[in-house]
Amino acid sequence: MSLVRLPFTTHHSRLVLIAGAALALLAPWGVAQSPTGFVLDFSEAELRMILQHGPWPPPPATDPSNRVSGRPDAIALGERLFFEPRLSTSNTVSCATCHDPEKNWTDGRKVAAGLAEVDRNTPTLLNARTQRWFGWDGSNDNLWSQSTRPLLDPREMGANERHVARLVRQDAELACRYEKAFGARPSDDDEAVLVDVGKALAAFQETLVSGRTPFDAFRDALAKGDREAATRYPMDAQRGLRIFVGQGNCSLCHFGPNFTNGEFHEVGIPVFKKTGGVDWGRYEGIKKLRASRFNLLGKYNDDAARAPGTSTRYVALQPQTFEQFKVPTLRNVALTAPYMHNGHLATLPDVVRHYSTIDPTLLHVAHVYFDPLVADAVPTDTLLKPLKLTPLQISYMVAFLETLTDGNPPRKPAPAAACP
Amino acid sequence: MLRAIALVLSLAVVPAAAQDCPGLDGARKVESERYVLSYRTQPAKLAVGQHFSVELMICPRNGQPAPDGVHVDGFMPEHNHGMNYRAATKPAEGGRYLAEGLMFHMSGKWDFIFEVRGGGKTDRMTHSVVLQ
Repeated sequence: MSLVRLPFTTHHSRLVLIAGAALALLAPWGVAQSPTGFVLDFSEAELRMILQHGPWPPPPATDPSNRVSGRPDAIALGERLFFEPRLSTSNTVSCATCHDPEKNWTDGRKVAAGLAEVDRNTPTLLNARTQRWFGWDGSNDNLWSQSTRPLLDPREMGANERHVARLVRQDAELACRYEKAFGARPSDDDEAVLVDVGKALAAFQETLVSGRTPFDAFRDALAKGDREAATRYPMDAQRGLRIFVGQGNCSLCHFGPNFTNGEFHEVGIPVFKKTGGVDWGRYEGIKKLRASRFNLLGKYNDDAARAPGTSTRYVALQPQTFEQFKVPTLRNVALTAPYMHNGHLATLPDVVRHYSTIDPTLLHVAHVYFDPLVADAVPTDTLLKPLKLTPLQISYMVAFLETLTDGNPPRKPAPAAACP
Repeated sequence: MLRAIALVLSLAVVPAAAQDCPGLDGARKVESERYVLSYRTQPAKLAVGQHFSVELMICPRNGQPAPDGVHVDGFMPEHNHGMNYRAATKPAEGGRYLAEGLMFHMSGKWDFIFEVRGGGKTDRMTHSVVLQ
């Protein structure tokens, strides 16, 4: 790796040698005063990949499938419901039990536990609104149906439609907030009220967006040609970033401003569940998605044209979806340990070491368990190869990933004002 | 005279030869032994992780049968995987076809794969694009 030495004074400007597009971006710096510091000589291809990870945050947008998306009254109701333990049959479990704002909207556990332990790790809710698929297996195509899933799961909140609807109808505060959000009192249709609860919860979660990070400042500095700002980004993080967009091929899946392409991949994590059997991931997720009456092709999609349902209409159920899980965001990743769909890896260095030593022959092994004849039919994805990183390179990668942390204080629940 | 009438009739029922088939404006062309296929995407500039559709025009070469079906797919040869979505293709106005639901979910080299059925056989054509 070569360094671009930034000049302390104008007579050092000859030391500035930056390749490709970076030259055009950074050329004006050659005659500027700048603080001590360095910027790696990122190639044109590297710069292109780096710039794709921004800008951040994304512009505000509402969900056309949710008629109350973005409405303050619905957001307030959703926030109230999010922290409401009476939605569970035991009156002890709320959404916040697993999605704890103090823990970056996760729970710090290997696998989540509501009324009982489940099979998967709790993903963060930050930036959920930018997603196409929800849940590790993408069994939901919208945030409001995903929000009803844990309410109804016997191991999470254990409720049913009637329980949820009755609480919203009978609790004066919730009924009042519901009317303000949806323009009418909760109806007698339990399922419709459940879906509306999901839509209010979604409206609240859409407001959970991670803040700007040291990486964003660096990325924007490169985009603007602001060398002085760029030099503030730690050198180890720059080295890790170079691996991330280059040798590591990480940005192929962790693509774009939210560091995920929103799709699914098998990455060699054991898929055998503690409770027995195999977690088929995306394969089962697609089957659940298609069977769901709450998907975007159904009547609860508030967009009359069903326009957001394109992905659901055309998603393919194919053998390679066995054992695939969603590519998670990496924003605030240093705050969301443990990692992977089942919390199999405890720390960020563990994750990097996993990709450094991954054995491609162990990919797709559960296909054989499922059906010995299937494995041969599954194309072998050749993307994942052991990166063979040195301990120093692993530390660079971790340094880079840590710069994706926003440093924002945990969000506090809104004070419980009376309604109206 | 009879010969002339027969010629006119045959021109009426035989699909336009490739040289008489203009294809689509601003389209890319790929060819097989029997067909010349032109295609363009909507939107024209593809983006990683965004759905797009493909508009196609298929011109049989002289004497070749008209297509009776077409399938469009995508594949990343360097990764040995395809798309996560299965496009649906339907006939459109003016002898065109429209394939909907495609998505390239990674940057890099993708092969468009066109399979054209006609006369009981299938022709396979590919065209590479690089998504950045």
